[in-house]
Amino acid sequence: MSQRAEAAGSIYDLGYRHYDGVRLGRRQSFLSLYAYSLRGAFGLGRRTTSKVIPVAVVLLAAAPTLAQLAIAAISPVDARIIEPANYFDFVQVTLAIFCAAVAPELFARDQRMRTLPLYFARGLRRDDYTIAKLAALATALLFITLLPQLVLFIGNGLAGSDLAGYAKDHWMELPQVVVSGVIVAVFFACISAAIGSQTPRRAYSTVAIIAVLILTSVVAAVIADTVGGVTLKIVVLLVPFEAATGVIRWIFNASVARETNLGKSGLDLWICFPAVLTVTAITAWLTFRRFRRLDV
Amino acid sequence: MTALSAPEQNIPTPGPAAGATVRVEDVSKWYGNVVAVNSVTFEIGPGITGLLGPNGAGKSTLLHMLAGFLASSSGSVQILGQTAFGNPELYRHVGLVPEREAVYGFLTGWQFVLMTAKLHGLPDPEGATQRAIARVEMAHAQDRPTGGYSKGMKQRIKVAAAIVHEPGVLLLDEPFNGADPRQRLQMMDMLRQMAAGGCTVVFSSHILEEVERLAENVLVVVNGRLAASGDFRTIRRLMTDRPHTFTIRSADNRRLAAALMGSPAVDGVELYSDSLSVRASDFASFTLAVAGVAQQADVTLYELLPADESLESVFSYLVNR
Amino acid sequence: MNDTIVRLTARQLFGQKRTLFIALLVAIPVLFAILFRLNSENTDAMDWVTNVLFVRVLVGSLLPFVALIFGTAALGTEFEDGTAVYLLSKPVPRWKIVASKLVVAWAATALFVLVASVVSAPIALQGSGVDGSSMVTGFIVAEVVAAFAYCAVFLALSILTAHALLVGLLYVFIWEAVLTRLFSGLKYLSIREYSVALAHWIGAIPNVIIDPQVSGATAAVLLVVISVGSVGLAVRWLGRWQIGETA
Repeated sequence: MSQRAEAAGSIYDLGYRHYDGVRLGRRQSFLSLYAYSLRGAFGLGRRTTSKVIPVAVVLLAAAPTLAQLAIAAISPVDARIIEPANYFDFVQVTLAIFCAAVAPELFARDQRMRTLPLYFARGLRRDDYTIAKLAALATALLFITLLPQLVLFIGNGLAGSDLAGYAKDHWMELPQVVVSGVIVAVFFACISAAIGSQTPRRAYSTVAIIAVLILTSVVAAVIADTVGGVTLKIVVLLVPFEAATGVIRWIFNASVARETNLGKSGLDLWICFPAVLTVTAITAWLTFRRFRRLDV
Repeated sequence: MTALSAPEQNIPTPGPAAGATVRVEDVSKWYGNVVAVNSVTFEIGPGITGLLGPNGAGKSTLLHMLAGFLASSSGSVQILGQTAFGNPELYRHVGLVPEREAVYGFLTGWQFVLMTAKLHGLPDPEGATQRAIARVEMAHAQDRPTGGYSKGMKQRIKVAAAIVHEPGVLLLDEPFNGADPRQRLQMMDMLRQMAAGGCTVVFSSHILEEVERLAENVLVVVNGRLAASGDFRTIRRLMTDRPHTFTIRSADNRRLAAALMGSPAVDGVELYSDSLSVRASDFASFTLAVAGVAQQADVTLYELLPADESLESVFSYLVNR
Repeated sequence: MNDTIVRLTARQLFGQKRTLFIALLVAIPVLFAILFRLNSENTDAMDWVTNVLFVRVLVGSLLPFVALIFGTAALGTEFEDGTAVYLLSKPVPRWKIVASKLVVAWAATALFVLVASVVSAPIALQGSGVDGSSMVTGFIVAEVVAAFAYCAVFLALSILTAHALLVGLLYVFIWEAVLTRLFSGLKYLSIREYSVALAHWIGAIPNVIIDPQVSGATAAVLLVVISVGSVGLAVRWLGRWQIGETA
């Protein structure tokens, strides 16, 4: 009888094959996850309806560039309304909505679909997962914070009659554009990731990201009108739109208009930089902590 | 495990000829370039019908069309003589058990079924709820939130909600997923009772044994096409009237091989180091004969396995026939 | 309307987390009013309450945001969770399902925004010697009417697409907040503008304080048209709703 029991435990060969190839390890899993997440941010590999919103938002963020290039092409005088130093003013809301659309997709989807154990059962470590996702989100955000400005920079150069002269006059703008674009992308990526990773529900994190990114700027505006003083200084440093604007203006060595919230606060712009770094560090840490502690 | 004996415990119910309740005529459904269901035609009457097919064959699509949750791209789907899609009044006579596990987690089992009864506008919702819950044997858990139910319990409370208005047509998408063997038997019993009461029960499954044990009428769907339909036994014979290969291990493989070659049910035998591979011309006659042959030859059988009995091979046989 | 669906929806929408979150949002204008009260020596209370508290914060941000949350959640969560089939596989006319869901979303939105208005406006006006009662009444009526229009639009949107929340965000924060400012012609296509115009009309607010480009009567008519149109589309779309490939 014992033999029978043993016989009953046999496995049918249904033709499943073992994987005999080279195992590429942790590094490759990391890179694949990064690439896959970046594609996912734009809905590539998903159905068409998932692509519409990210693509529309990226186009919306490019609209100021197109407008400026159109003006430059038509106008006989050198009319520069939209410049690298103030580009963020035109795209900040768009950027926030992009974050609200993409961060839940990257950080909540795996929790919702319960696919996290599949990742963590591989060579990939939990922190690797978080880094890959954060990097993918930040890279996706560069399509809004950096790409349109690079196009604008090149377009401005080509629109003028004197390309060499333009390059000579404006070469400093290029590193400024790149550095500010990267800082803003990482800053917003970390904030949205910290929020987006907390709940598997897409709708909740979308709403929370909007509340933190957009509604706080309403708070800043009202505080600027009513209270002012030290309260406004602190609020401005904590409100993502204001702090990011401060850092950008500081990098470009530009001033802020008196009537803006930043202008009313009378804050030295350089202080925005450590503030942004601190918030980035804290939110990144919150994201790492979430995935370290998550029971999968 | 060996699937050799088919328990014949079907309660006799009227066949499909006795007035069709579900009529599907030349129905296709496509999404862009992908064809999910490809010109399918069938009629179903009261009794239990199994919708059998591998995963992704189009069973769910078909069932959703029957339930009025998908419009067919072409052809007509009629339930009780009425168009299924966009016809809420039809749900007075149709019950649906969806495949997804989702329930309103904050409602208790009782509240969930009661809500369904009220939405149906039943005259005595409490009484109907009580009867439906008793039928699926969930009274013990009816006051707990459904969010905390196990898979099998969720399945049963979903069934209770689907039968609370005693529908004439009951549609179930993969109803045995997540049910343990006892729950499975109990659910099968309940469906048989409903069928005996004149209900048209249609359920989908990718597991041959489930369909075999429950359905007298079967629709086999492969790649969006109807591969076979009709009386289960006929289909079964069509499925089994083909050369079969079995792997046998016994106390004395060589002696058994010699004995088997004498049996008319056997076409050929190959002898391996520790097993026999037997080609039989007919499934049923071979499985009936093999034990007797072994006994006469005084060989103890250790193991008898159909070598190609996976569902996929049956389907591919049916499709390529 | 269907009792059972109304009660079910109320339980869905007033989940603990969502209610707490919205209560926090509602606290924001109240906080603003208190801050204003404490620092308002040089500012005209009537002007601040109208332009900042109502136009900018309550009508301009909070109302559409809360309406978006409730409007898309009322039916949207059912589609996302896969519970919609239980509701739709019942012999309930589709207009009743839409109406029941909409009424709850509307009531929830109006409740939160009204509480925020009724608490914050008197705090800000208190002690200023200004009689703002007519202005506050105007805004409260406008908020209740606009809440219905917003909820109807977002509910209809949630049947049409799983991305209703994002489309709604683009509408509220890009279309209404940014584009209507850049291209003033678009003011005729903005629920926010209608609400301000309606409040201006009903509350008999002087033109020196707010001067909407749409007349109050036009705004009222457009709000009704948008509400009715959205409900009509929602009923139509729900009647033709098909289960998704993955849903």
